[in-house]
Amino acid sequence: MKSLKAGLYIALGTAFALSASTAMASDAPISGNLRIVIGSNSTGGDTYQNAAIIAAHLGEKLDMNVRVDAVGAVAGFRALKQQGKTGATIMFNHDQSYLGNLYGVKGYDDIFAEYKIGPTISINPGNAYLVPKDSPYKTVDDIIEAAGKGERVRVSVERGSASNIGFSALENAVKMKYPGAEKNLALINTGSQSDKNQALFDGQADVIHGSIQGNEQFTRLPADDQKAMRFIWITAKGETIEQMPEEGLGETTRDMMLQWTDPVTSVPQSADGDLFNFDKMFYFMYNKDIDPKIVAYFDEAMTEIFEEGKIQSDFKRSFFIPSFRASPEAEKFLVNKKDDYAEILSAIQK
Amino acid sequence: MEFLALVDISYLLLIFFGVALGIVFGAIPGMTATMALAVCLPLTYSFDLNHSLAFLLALYVGGISGGLVPAILLNIPGTPSSICTTFDGYPMARNGEGERALKIGVVSSLFGGLFSLAILYLFAPLLSDIAIKFSYIEKFLIIFFALTVIASLCQSMLVGIFSGVLGILLSLVGVYDTVKGGNGDIRLITPALEDMLYSGFSLLPVLIGLFGVGAILADAEQGVKEETEGAKLDLLSGRKFDLSAFRGSAVNLVRSSFIGTFVGMLPGVGGSAASVLAYTQEKNFSRDSSMMGKGAPQGVIASESANNGLTGGALIPLLSLGIPGDSTTAILIGAFTLQGVQVGPLFIGENVETWNMMVLSMFIANIVMFVVMFFAIKYIAKVVTVPKYLLYPIIIMMCVSGAYAINYGIMFDVWSLLLFGLFGYIGGKLGLEITPFIIGFILGSSAEIYFVKSLESFGTMTIFFTKSPIALFLWLLIGMSVAFSIYSNKRSKSKTA
Repeated sequence: MKSLKAGLYIALGTAFALSASTAMASDAPISGNLRIVIGSNSTGGDTYQNAAIIAAHLGEKLDMNVRVDAVGAVAGFRALKQQGKTGATIMFNHDQSYLGNLYGVKGYDDIFAEYKIGPTISINPGNAYLVPKDSPYKTVDDIIEAAGKGERVRVSVERGSASNIGFSALENAVKMKYPGAEKNLALINTGSQSDKNQALFDGQADVIHGSIQGNEQFTRLPADDQKAMRFIWITAKGETIEQMPEEGLGETTRDMMLQWTDPVTSVPQSADGDLFNFDKMFYFMYNKDIDPKIVAYFDEAMTEIFEEGKIQSDFKRSFFIPSFRASPEAEKFLVNKKDDYAEILSAIQK
Repeated sequence: MEFLALVDISYLLLIFFGVALGIVFGAIPGMTATMALAVCLPLTYSFDLNHSLAFLLALYVGGISGGLVPAILLNIPGTPSSICTTFDGYPMARNGEGERALKIGVVSSLFGGLFSLAILYLFAPLLSDIAIKFSYIEKFLIIFFALTVIASLCQSMLVGIFSGVLGILLSLVGVYDTVKGGNGDIRLITPALEDMLYSGFSLLPVLIGLFGVGAILADAEQGVKEETEGAKLDLLSGRKFDLSAFRGSAVNLVRSSFIGTFVGMLPGVGGSAASVLAYTQEKNFSRDSSMMGKGAPQGVIASESANNGLTGGALIPLLSLGIPGDSTTAILIGAFTLQGVQVGPLFIGENVETWNMMVLSMFIANIVMFVVMFFAIKYIAKVVTVPKYLLYPIIIMMCVSGAYAINYGIMFDVWSLLLFGLFGYIGGKLGLEITPFIIGFILGSSAEIYFVKSLESFGTMTIFFTKSPIALFLWLLIGMSVAFSIYSNKRSKSKTA
């Protein structure tokens, strides 16, 4: 009898738990399958990794099958336009979505005009710049000074991408201090991280864009190794890095990282003393004509996911920082961020 | 050997199912090892890293190996890296040696896979140091070297080179992607077609269109009678398989496996280049290559040992530099990142247990692949006994499904498939040579990227000759390959005269 009672309680408990977990699904404006297209072709990069984390939680919360497709930015925009009206296809990407448009890369629409901005989800604080371990440039200031004094400094980034904005900020800093000398900073247009690393190994670049996650092991190699590198600048805000676990990543502790972020390592953005920084932000985008009820439904689901608190540890375990804002707030935040970077670009072009 | 304690029944079952599923993906025209990994990657969220890697590596080995089945039996490369298997495999099948060709292919695949695994296990960190000596220039020269195969594979040198150059041209249609280091500009299309052709023509629809749909259209012109394919392709009428097929091929086997491993460890060169290079080397340097292209086992040996040699090779830069060696290992890196594990130059030393488990997984996967394929061949080979009027619609259906799925549901890829099927059929009638065309198409975009990047980086054409001793050595190989092609072309002309 006891075991029967226990079984009954377990069954009731399970039924209650299931009904609670699927509560959102009962009056859902959307059901079935959800496809998340991401702005990267890679399943090994941070976009896929962040998308996979939020997709797993979203699938559970909404009781939907959620699939992440690594289609790339332009194909993602197209999928959103053609298939996104019902809300069954949504896009997940980072700041590159609007930076590509600011830099005039073909295929990059003005996301604020062409799409509906969804919630921000997370930050990858690992956006970094590196030099060979035996480089004469010990700090970002050394680079600014060298370029200002006529030395050609070659920086390997992907044109029109998130890596390009750091280069533009450097150009702007050189121009502010040594007008006309910004031409001494040469952009070496490279695609993948592999190509950027190779450019450094070959001596074809003096500085490369990379990431804490992807390049940390190279920084631990002995200086006489051709592959050895050194961090010189992390573009995330110091306060963002402060949110990381104290032990950092690999053998690079949080305190070490803070030496490469503002205010210790800083790149001036304006004459008013503003400093440039760039937190690589991940967020959702929807079709422009999506039903507002679906937008609210996703917002509600994600608010609950973040309130439950489990997703935070998933992000931190993968060296990301949770950063949720519901859609209306996210749009304002991203528009401001875009305007900030647009100012840097127009300052360089003046 | 403490890591052996981690081997459990679920680990072994995952490898078995991974290999079996990979073979199915590889054997279906339009489905590839890369696609198999992409589809199955999300399934591994719930596994631990060792089980996840065991499953994905098994898919990789199975997927690369399965491509030989349609290449030999249907003349359709199951994956781009099995294109050279069609050159001799299909003629062997038509001569009643289908089962023999398949078994030669499977044994060669096993050898190539184990050879590259041994190299990976013993020399990975050392080889990654060599791999980084290959800059844009050396990579361009390797691709250029692979392109010289066009000269030795064509019936008429002039038409063959024209076809190859046309292939290169069509591979450049669409955006010069910033992700590849390009400028984002769209080339070779009118604005009206930009929406459809933004990303250009995808390789798989072009490949299976030319080889699959084109051949079916050509057969349809003859009229499909109610006969079984088996009536023409009697599987047992030719020679039976025995190990004597490998007599005199030891050098070929080792050289091709080495080429596969070597090309695999150079990120961005591509798996198709491996089998093309191995095939060319066998054609150019073997004592008797007169039967190659007409059903010579040595062609199947070269192609299959090279493309399986790629599996270990492509893991070298992945595990020693954190850089995937090919498109399939680019998916594999996702398994590491999803588990929060970073791969880089210190990965092997800091993750000895995972490293050993990966090597063990690859070893078991190769053995399972051999057992599954070798003993299933007599049943697999019966596909050619299915009547054409049943077989062809099934092939078309698989091709269309594969083309649609390759880029996650782009309808234009299906139109590409049909367009290139028609192109292959009409081109064949006009005398266009399909093999040089497809080799040009496969290698064209990589050649462009490395050529342009070399010039952007160094600013002078002379750098191609002066960059390094490796570059000079590659020029020597290119020169020898071209000279041999001209010589053999003249010799075959004088024989026919």
